[in-house]
Amino acid sequence: MDIIDIKGLVKNYPLGETTVHALRGVDLTIQEGEFMSIVGPSGSGKTTLLNIIGCIDFATEGSVKVHETEITALTDREVTDLRLHKIGFIFQTFNLIPVLDVIENVEFPLLLMKNQSKGEIRKRADKLIDEVGLSEYAEHRPAELSGGQRQRVAIARALVTNPDIVLADEPTANLDSVTGAQILELMKKMNEIEKTTFIFSTHDEHVLKYAQKIVKIKDGRIER
Amino acid sequence: MELILKIAWRNIKRHKGKSFIIGVILFLGALLMTLGNGVISGMDKGIESNIINGFMGDIAIISEKEKTDSILMKMYGESIETIPNYKEIKAILLKENYIESFIPVGKNMVMVLSEDDGDPWYMYILGVDFKEYKKMFKGNIYAIEGRLLKDDEPGILVPAFMRNELYTRMNIWMIPENSKLVEDNLSDDARPYKDELSLKTNAVFMGARNDSSTSDIRLAVKGIIKYRALNTFWGHFPITDIESYRNCMGYFSASELAVSISKDTQKLLDAEAENLDAMFGRDSLIVSDTGSSDIGSIDFKKKELTTKTGLDLESGIYNCVFVKLKDSSRLERSVNMLNAKFKQAGMGIRAVTWKKASGFIGSMAVLIKGALFVFVMILFFVAIIIIVNTLTMAALERTTEIGMMRAVGARKSFIGGMFLGETVILSGIFGGLGFILGIIIVNIIPLLQITTSNDLLQLLYGGDTFKPFLSFFDMLFVIIQLALVTIITVLYPVKVANSITPLDAIARE
Repeated sequence: MDIIDIKGLVKNYPLGETTVHALRGVDLTIQEGEFMSIVGPSGSGKTTLLNIIGCIDFATEGSVKVHETEITALTDREVTDLRLHKIGFIFQTFNLIPVLDVIENVEFPLLLMKNQSKGEIRKRADKLIDEVGLSEYAEHRPAELSGGQRQRVAIARALVTNPDIVLADEPTANLDSVTGAQILELMKKMNEIEKTTFIFSTHDEHVLKYAQKIVKIKDGRIER
Repeated sequence: MELILKIAWRNIKRHKGKSFIIGVILFLGALLMTLGNGVISGMDKGIESNIINGFMGDIAIISEKEKTDSILMKMYGESIETIPNYKEIKAILLKENYIESFIPVGKNMVMVLSEDDGDPWYMYILGVDFKEYKKMFKGNIYAIEGRLLKDDEPGILVPAFMRNELYTRMNIWMIPENSKLVEDNLSDDARPYKDELSLKTNAVFMGARNDSSTSDIRLAVKGIIKYRALNTFWGHFPITDIESYRNCMGYFSASELAVSISKDTQKLLDAEAENLDAMFGRDSLIVSDTGSSDIGSIDFKKKELTTKTGLDLESGIYNCVFVKLKDSSRLERSVNMLNAKFKQAGMGIRAVTWKKASGFIGSMAVLIKGALFVFVMILFFVAIIIIVNTLTMAALERTTEIGMMRAVGARKSFIGGMFLGETVILSGIFGGLGFILGIIIVNIIPLLQITTSNDLLQLLYGGDTFKPFLSFFDMLFVIIQLALVTIITVLYPVKVANSITPLDAIARE
């Protein structure tokens, strides 16, 4: 089943008197439960594509459907709720709330959803923290964690709401190769455990071995 | 809400420097606001209390013919219409159980005539049955030289303020009869000339009436007085006995018919009293120059009055009646009730509140109150700008954090709530401390008995003693002001924070 269906996606950024064409007509479908990588050099449009799929940027033209919901026509509140309930994010660096400890960071999206009891929320967060191997750091603040540990927390936080999709924009870019490999292995493991669709972007050819499906992008177009 | 407050509180602790700056501003703002409101309320209460208890009661009853309600200090010294039917008024007032006391008074402007070659000068004067006056305004005046009037005794009590004024304008220094110059009481202007002062123990006063039908009278100074509070303002009002006042104004005294008589009739009557000056007109009297400072040597019209007991003083003419209520908070209602009674009886009089009757003094109080309020508001405006700026900077510095929160599903209202929460906590703690300290200071200040004789400060103090005061409603007002400041300061930073998108966070990284 297609979880994402993109047709004729165009994204232009006006830059002074010129226009930057970030995406020039992308057609893409992604199946539910896939572990997919978007690969391309810097400036190829992979981050823009992820941002539009994740409803944090808007298309200039074209159609983007997430679970058959056309996201290009949604209001700010609707896309916020869609992000909360359907999508998990793992960014390169700024993933965590500095004033909350690990378990509170993981609980954060569930507390925003307001549809579970405190006990249920704590239980779910504990489970994911355990799965990412950070139980002993549960009460540590982000500043007390290494880069790899923070990314693990971000993975747990991204998965805590049982989203349909987890989007990761170069999740290993700021990590050493060993830690990066551990993170990708963890993402792969979580993909298998939680059956969540993972889409991550990278420009590192070495990480491609983890991907189930690879989409190459160059100059704003998908390379077939 | 719990999550918002948790994040807000931890952010406050995380950004200690900024939080402290905002906190100190809120602390000082709340402190100044509490003190300012305390001073304003104290002034309001003091002025009200000093006017009501020290000078004119809650209500003034005046003639219906009187064009304006402001009768205390009328523009251009216009005279006040008379109320000849006092006994009828008294009969009505006695039946009203909400009235505590009342006193009829004569109040007008008089001219102090120069017996040297100087110009005359003007002053207001209060004519009262001093025995009754003392009962109603107990302890509101005291003599710094001489003594107060005895019962039914003719004479005048000159306020120290007015004595200084007369020295400045007429170059005379008044002292009570049978007394000597008290050097300690000399004004700064008079002190260098203490050996050359033209000392006067009495003076000739001429009533100033709109119809020019006036009379003049020599009055002995019995005492130099001070009012307990607002001495500079009430110092414009020397006090004389009602009979002398009536004679001075050309009204019939108690022993005569209670009517106002014309100038010509008065002159004829004056002539009978062996006063030929009156027959030749007032002008010749004023410009006469004998070249002597001997009071007795000039042939002014002089109705030298002696103490007369047993007179029915109430049968004479008055200008108004001062009324004190049992409950001053029922002022407007009481005025309305009285006016209904007066209208029903067709008495040609009306009751007005002390605020209206005191005219410019009440206006001065409102002006100072307004100025203080504006001052406090300016302080808060500055505080608001500083806090808004600091919070806005904080919002921009947290772009990545806010953007990430928005990316994972936090609505704008959550971000706004977070900033509001931070400001509310800071307001609650620091503003609360400032508020409590303000209340403590407001309650301590009256115990220090800070007094002043400065005119402006007396108005600010609402009397001669600084007694700031905070009622329950004043405190509620401060809390509302603080809440408003909190909300106003957070509006723009919240708008800025709400405009931060996940894309901004990505761009920042």
